[in-house]
Amino acid sequence: MMNLKLIETIDKWAVENPDKKAFVWREQQLTYRQLKERSDALACWITNEYPNDDSPILVHGHMQPEMIICFLAAVKAGHAYIPVDISIPEDRIHRMIEGSGAKLFISQEALTINGTDKIRSINPFDLNKIFETYKGQKPQSEEAVQGEDNYYIIYTSGSTGNPKGVQITKNCLESFVNWAVNDFGLQQGQVFLNQAPFSFDLSVMDLYPCLYTGGTLWAIDKAMIAKPKELFASFAQSNIEVWTSTPSFAEMCLMAPDFSSDMLPSLKKFLFCGEVLPNNVAKQLLERFPEAEIINSYGPTEATVAVTSITIDKDIIEKYDSLPVGYCKSDCQILIMKEDGTIAADGEKGEIVIVGPSVSKGYLSAPELTEKAFMTVNGERAYRTKDAGILEDGLLFCHGRMDNQIKLHGYRMEIEEIEHHLRSSSYVNAGVVLPIKRNDAYDYLLAIVVPNEHSFEKEFQLTSAIKKELAAELPAYMIPRKFVYQSSIPMTANGKVDRKALLKEVTMTV
Amino acid sequence: MADFKEQVLDILEEVCENDIVKENPDVKIFEEGILDSFGTVNLLVEIEDKLGIPVSISEFDREEWATPNLIINKLAEMK
Repeated sequence: MMNLKLIETIDKWAVENPDKKAFVWREQQLTYRQLKERSDALACWITNEYPNDDSPILVHGHMQPEMIICFLAAVKAGHAYIPVDISIPEDRIHRMIEGSGAKLFISQEALTINGTDKIRSINPFDLNKIFETYKGQKPQSEEAVQGEDNYYIIYTSGSTGNPKGVQITKNCLESFVNWAVNDFGLQQGQVFLNQAPFSFDLSVMDLYPCLYTGGTLWAIDKAMIAKPKELFASFAQSNIEVWTSTPSFAEMCLMAPDFSSDMLPSLKKFLFCGEVLPNNVAKQLLERFPEAEIINSYGPTEATVAVTSITIDKDIIEKYDSLPVGYCKSDCQILIMKEDGTIAADGEKGEIVIVGPSVSKGYLSAPELTEKAFMTVNGERAYRTKDAGILEDGLLFCHGRMDNQIKLHGYRMEIEEIEHHLRSSSYVNAGVVLPIKRNDAYDYLLAIVVPNEHSFEKEFQLTSAIKKELAAELPAYMIPRKFVYQSSIPMTANGKVDRKALLKEVTMTV
Repeated sequence: MADFKEQVLDILEEVCENDIVKENPDVKIFEEGILDSFGTVNLLVEIEDKLGIPVSISEFDREEWATPNLIINKLAEMK
């Protein structure tokens, strides 16, 4: 296993280029010197307060520079961190705390976790005091997260109603960073866009390659995306060279006619992951940014961000209607497995299985779920993605899901998890959630509900009440946009919800 | 104006997949989760296609476009 010295390399920039900006968010900036000093100080405080302890630490917030200080401090002190975005409701945070055994919750939003959890909350005021008090102290390098220790844990939607924590080790992350920096041709000191919330592992695609190469992370936030005028103003002064986002986000930006190399003259690379890159989006981007390279990639959170990549140029766009997701990184292997467990022939469809050091150790404290999805192939960890795919001469193509997990605007979710919470609502007798497509991509979620007796005059008032209940359990992007009320839900002969019949019914009427 | 209002509401109903916009034109479509950033893109495309009013995404502001009534007024100004 390689040792990339990830943490040491990030720290090294504090010596070689101390005033270089590591992170920019609105008016706030963080230099490599500040990043090192503050993460060192916080790491020493953590080690003092929690000796001989490696419980994961929850880091809550949105795009504040303190987020990345806390990430590095946690790993320097030998703890994995769990990024928690502000889009995650409190009840879900409680479940993450219970499931992970975390003792520390550091919030940039001054959110305090109370209740039954034995957890200590640190607010921005406490955090600043720690930075001051421990200024100049340096953690012992032996304390830091090593090789097979967890580096971060990202919670993702689980079909039982509980989110599951994907454990990413330092080895997994270093294998990813090494590949990304070399294969994507990243250079020292570039400006990287960060669009994704830190609880979504697309953010790892820019965060660590950027810090490793001494670059500047340019963060945009939710409020900017809601007011595109601010977003484009931010772009215009950013000098972004490496763009990482979901294809949906780039598609939204393309709506602005001035989104082009005139607005972002330094842009050299687009890195896409998280969902299908539509052919027409790639085509338009090449027209607007003729000098830029588009790299498409693929990988589940369980295999550390991405494991395949390919440059999408004019020839590829013309040759393939559905774009390929690329070739596997050299230290991993992709297998296409048929239903009977044998390996599919070239060009034959099956389940995508990823083998190698990118693959996670499994789900935190969930041996049964881990057993189902993970296995060992030739002594190496392997993950069954449940994504259907085809390999053609080493080139991978994705063909959708084999279960009820979907990607909606880049967000991964299990339909069963949403249904679990929908059915738990006091207003709902029975409920089904259907993802509805528009031009081949999922566009929104539709809930079909058999309501309990209620006193609302209008259906929209009932919808509003159900949505409020769901919002306590689920992030906003998992709440169905549309609600349809019926007196019953069709079943198949063997007693399952007849999703096909339902979909047909509702698409006829809407 | 009545026609125009009806046209805008039809577009909103179609894009939002929801008749709430007609029942309660003061509903806060973003706050209530009826429309999100990605739905906004569809909305602006439809407005340009059906009403011939080009609205750039950079002119869009959730606070100014918060409800169907506000959207109708905004578009009437731009017409």
